[in-house]
Amino acid sequence: MTDLQDAAETFVVAPKRPADRPEPRTGRARSVVKHLVLIAVGVVMLYPLLWMLSSSIKPNDLIFREPGLIPSELDVSNYTVGWDALLHPFSHYLINSAVIVMGSVLGNLISCALAAYAFARLNFKFRTLFFAIMLMSIMLPIHVVIVPQYILFSELGWINTFLPLIVPKFLATDAFFVFLMVQFFRGIPKELDEAARLDGAGHIRIFFRIMLPLSLPALATTAIFTFIWTWNDFFSQLIFLTNPDKYTVPVALRTFVDSTGASSWGSLFAMSIVSLIPVFLVFLFGQKYLVKGIATTGIK
Amino acid sequence: MSALSELGSLRKQKGQASRSPLEKNDGKYAMFFLGPWLIGLVLITAGPLLASLYLSFTDYDLLSDPEVIGVENYRAMLEDPRLLTSLRVTFTYVFVSVPLQLIAALGLALLLDRGMRGLALYRSVFYLPSLLGGSVAIAILWRQIFGTSGLVNQFLGLFGVDGPGWVSHPDYALDTLIILNVWTFGAPMIIFLAGLRQIPEMYYEAAAIDGATKLRQFWSITIPMLTPIIFFNLVLQFIGAFQSFTPAFVVSGGTGGPADSTLFYTLYLYQQGFTNLDMGYASAMAWLLLAIIAVLTALNFFLSKYWVFYND
Amino acid sequence: MRTTLRTTDRPRRRLITMATVLTAGSLALAGCGQADNLAENSGEEPAAEGGDCEQAELRYAWWGSDVRHQLNQEVIDAFEAENPDITITPDFTDWAGYWDKLATGVAGGDTPDILMQEERYLRDYAERGVIANLDDYDIATDAIDENILAAGQTDGALYGIPTGVNVYSVLANPAVFEQAGVPMPDDTTWSWDDFQETAIAIGQTDGLFGMQDHGYNEPGFMVFARQNGEQLYTEDGELGYQDETLVEWWEIALNLQRNGGQPSASETVEIQSLGPEQSLLGTNRGAMGAWWTNQLTAIETAAGTELELLRWPGESQGERTGMYFKPAMYISMSADTECPDAAAAFIDFMVNSETAGELLLSDRGLPANTDVRAAIADDLSPSEKKAADFIADLEDEIIDGTPVPPIGAGEVAAILDRYNNEVLFERMTPQDAAEQFRSEVEAAIG
Repeated sequence: MTDLQDAAETFVVAPKRPADRPEPRTGRARSVVKHLVLIAVGVVMLYPLLWMLSSSIKPNDLIFREPGLIPSELDVSNYTVGWDALLHPFSHYLINSAVIVMGSVLGNLISCALAAYAFARLNFKFRTLFFAIMLMSIMLPIHVVIVPQYILFSELGWINTFLPLIVPKFLATDAFFVFLMVQFFRGIPKELDEAARLDGAGHIRIFFRIMLPLSLPALATTAIFTFIWTWNDFFSQLIFLTNPDKYTVPVALRTFVDSTGASSWGSLFAMSIVSLIPVFLVFLFGQKYLVKGIATTGIK
Repeated sequence: MSALSELGSLRKQKGQASRSPLEKNDGKYAMFFLGPWLIGLVLITAGPLLASLYLSFTDYDLLSDPEVIGVENYRAMLEDPRLLTSLRVTFTYVFVSVPLQLIAALGLALLLDRGMRGLALYRSVFYLPSLLGGSVAIAILWRQIFGTSGLVNQFLGLFGVDGPGWVSHPDYALDTLIILNVWTFGAPMIIFLAGLRQIPEMYYEAAAIDGATKLRQFWSITIPMLTPIIFFNLVLQFIGAFQSFTPAFVVSGGTGGPADSTLFYTLYLYQQGFTNLDMGYASAMAWLLLAIIAVLTALNFFLSKYWVFYND
Repeated sequence: MRTTLRTTDRPRRRLITMATVLTAGSLALAGCGQADNLAENSGEEPAAEGGDCEQAELRYAWWGSDVRHQLNQEVIDAFEAENPDITITPDFTDWAGYWDKLATGVAGGDTPDILMQEERYLRDYAERGVIANLDDYDIATDAIDENILAAGQTDGALYGIPTGVNVYSVLANPAVFEQAGVPMPDDTTWSWDDFQETAIAIGQTDGLFGMQDHGYNEPGFMVFARQNGEQLYTEDGELGYQDETLVEWWEIALNLQRNGGQPSASETVEIQSLGPEQSLLGTNRGAMGAWWTNQLTAIETAAGTELELLRWPGESQGERTGMYFKPAMYISMSADTECPDAAAAFIDFMVNSETAGELLLSDRGLPANTDVRAAIADDLSPSEKKAADFIADLEDEIIDGTPVPPIGAGEVAAILDRYNNEVLFERMTPQDAAEQFRSEVEAAIG
C-alpha cells in the first residue's frame, strides 16, 4: 500500500515522459509460448462443447453408440425437428427469454448501482446492518424461499407473468451485483468525488458524472452476468411460469428429456447450441466494454 | 497529470469542516439511493426470509397446513447421519474448489489482460464452459470425459493405466465435481478482468518513471489495487460454493450418489423439501447453512482488514 | 369435499400472513390477501357442488418429453373440438421439475385442475386432500380391470385413474445371446439359478454383459418378494418382507458382478443414471435388462434391433407368481378446481374415448380401458404390439396388484438405490445394508 502511494507521489513530483522501452528479444518467443499455452487450455475448455456440437448433427440413435467427435453421418434434422418439436416454434421461447433478460439487465443496472453508491459513499444509520442483511439475503438457498415467494406472487396475481422474474431486479434483490459494484466504487479514488464536491456537485451528480462513467467495467460485468444468468436460470422460471405460451428457453430445453422414457437428445443438443448463440454473442461483444475506466474518461 | 497534483493539493486545503455539510445530508440521500433496495427488502426479500424461519419451526409438507413443532426439526438434525455426510461433502467441495477456481481465474485474467492478438476470442473461449451453466447436457458431457471408458481413461490407457470410473465411483465422484467447478472459472475471471481494467493507468506510468520493474509493479500496484475484487470473489464464491446445487444435481441425476459421495448440502435440503415433502426440515437446514455461511463471511470480512486495500 | 377445500386453502392464507405481516409494508398486502381468499372461497363453494362453469378454463399438468407434449396437445385439441365451452391449458415439464412445480403450486393454492400422478406420490396427495375422490364424478371406470383400478384407490376412494398398464419384465436381445453363443432361456420355466448362469455365461464374451444391474429398483424387488409370498408394502402401509429376502436379492446382483455377469459397480452407476437409450441394451452391450413394457420402443429404437420380453425368473418355482400389472401413471383432479364437472369430462375423455386412445396409443402404457385397448390394437407399432401380446399372455398368471404405497414412499426409491450402491461397491455387506434400509424406510414412511 505504501509502495503504491510512493509510486503515485513520485509520479506527481517528477512528471517525466516515460521512454519507450525496447521490446526484449525474447519477447516474440515468449509470446508464441503464451499463445501455445492458451490454445492448449482452450482446447481442453472447448472439447465438451465441440462434442455437443458434433452430437447435434448426428442422427439421434448414433449419439451414444458412436461417441467420437467426427460424425460418420451428417444430419441437420435435429435442428429442424427440434425447432418445431414443442408446442411453439423455438423462436417463441427465445423471445420470451429475451424479454425477461432485457428487463432484468435494465433493472439490475439501475437499482444495484444506486444501492451500491449508498453503501460505498454515504454515511448513514444502519449502514453496516443493512449491508449484512443484504448479504444474508443471498445466503439462503432458493429452494426454501421459493415457496413463500410463490405464495407472495400468487397473492399479487403475478403467477404466469414475467413480473416475478423482472420486478425484483428493479428492487435490487440481486445482492451479488450490489456488492460487486460496492467493491468497484470503493476502488475509484475518492479524490475525484471530493474535487467534484468542491465544484458544488451533490451526490446525484457525483453518481451520474463520476461514478457511472468510471465504473463502466463493473456495469458491463453486471449486464453480461445478468444476461447470462437470467438466460440460464431454470428453477424460478419453471415455478413461476405455468403456461407454455410463457415458457422460456431453459424451461423448454428441459422438456426434451424424460428420464423415464424416450428422450430427444439430438433435439436437446441442437436447441442447446441455438440457445448458446445469443449468450455467446452478447459475451463476445459485451466484453469490449470491459475497457479502461479511468484511462479513457478520467483525468487527462 | 497535472490534475492529480492539483487534486493532491486540494485535499490538503480541504479541512474537515468543509466536508461535514455534505455528509450531514447523507441520510437523506441514502433514502434516494437505497430506496428501491429497501422496498425490495420489505416486499420481496424479508417476507420469504422470515417465512422460511417460521417454517423451520413447523412440520410442513407443502400439501397441507404447517404445524408448529418447536425446535423438533433442529433437534432431528443432530441425529441425522446424512446431514453430517452432506456437510462433509460440502466443506470438502468449498475449501478445495474455491481456491483452485480463483487461482485459475486470476491467472488467466492476468494473461488475458494486456494487449495481445486474439484477446477477445481467447476470453470468449475460456468463458464458454460457464455459459453452459446447469444444462442437462453437462451430465452427458461429464460421462464422456470421466466415465469408465471416457476420454481421461482412454488417455491413461495409453500409459497402460486402467483408470476407475471417476464420475461414478464414490471415492472420486466429488473430485470430478470440483474439476467441473474449476472448469467454469469464467465468472470470477471476468470480474478480475474488469477489476484490472479499473486500475488507473497513471499508477503504472508513475511506477515506470520511477524505474519499477514489471514484477514490482505487479506486487505493488496490481495486487493491492485488485484486493477489493479478490475479496469480492472470495466472499461470493464461498457463498456460491456452499449453495452449489446444480452440478451435483445434474451429474448425479438428483441423487447425490453414488452412495451419497456427492450429496451437497443444498441437494440434500432439496431432497428433504421437495422429494420427501418435508419443507419444515428443509427450512431448518437452510437456516443452519445460513448460520455457517454468515459466520465464515463475517470471518472473511474481519480478516479483510488485514489485506484488502481500499482507495478511500 | 368441502372440508378438503378448506384444508388446502388455509395454508396459503396463514403463510401469506406470516410471510408479510412481519414486515413493515405488508399490512395492505395481507389485507388484500385475505380479501382475495374470502372471495375465492365464496366463489368455490357452489362450484364444488357441480356449479355453473359455462366457460370452463382448466389447467392440465403432466411430465414427459417432447413426443408426449405433442400427443397431449392433440388430445386437448380433439377434446376442445367436442367441448367448445371448455378450454384446456397445458402445463408440462420434465419428471423432476414436474414434482417441484406441483408441490409449490399446491402450497400456493394453485393446484392444476387436472394432473398426472404416480404411484409413489398418489397417497401423499390423496390423504392431504389435494386431489379429489373421483367416485363423486361422472367418469366411467367399468372397462378398466379391477386389479388395475384398485391401484388408484386408497381408503375405498378413487384418487387416480390408471391411464395405462405396464409390466416390469426382463428385456432380452437375442442377437447378443447369439453373439455370446448362449441359448435364449425359456422364460416360463427358468429359475433364478438359471438366470445367473445365463448372465454369467454371456459375460464371458469380451465386451458383453449378461444383465444390467437390477438391484436398485423397488419394482424388481417387489416381484422377488411376492414370489416368496411376501411384499414390500402391506395394505396397511407397513413393510411386509423379511430382511433375508432383500439380502438374497442383493446376493444375486453381487454374484453377477463378481463373475462378469454384470458390469463393475462404477459402470453400473454410470449406465443407470442415463436412462433407457444409453442402457446396456440400448447400446448393444448387454443381453438383458429390467424394464417396463412401455420402455420397449425407446430401447429398441436406440439399439436398432428387435428385443424380446421375458418373464422374471422364478415365476414358476416360487410360492406364487410375483409379476404384477402396474398403472404407468394416474390421472387425477384437483380437489379445489372450480369446474369439477368439466375436469371430469376431460378425464373421462382421456381414459375412455377411442379418439384419445388412438392418439396416445401406448405413450402411457397400454390403455387401461380394455375396450380402447382392443380398438387401437391395429394402430400399434410392432414393438407396442409385442408389449400388448406379452401383457395379454400374462393375464392368467398375474394374481393381484400391489397396494398403493404408503405416504413417504417417494423417498424409498432413492434409499434403495443408495444401499444398492453401498452393496455393489462392497462398502457394506448385504446384511448390514438390509438392516439400515429397513430402519431408514421405516422412518420415512412412519
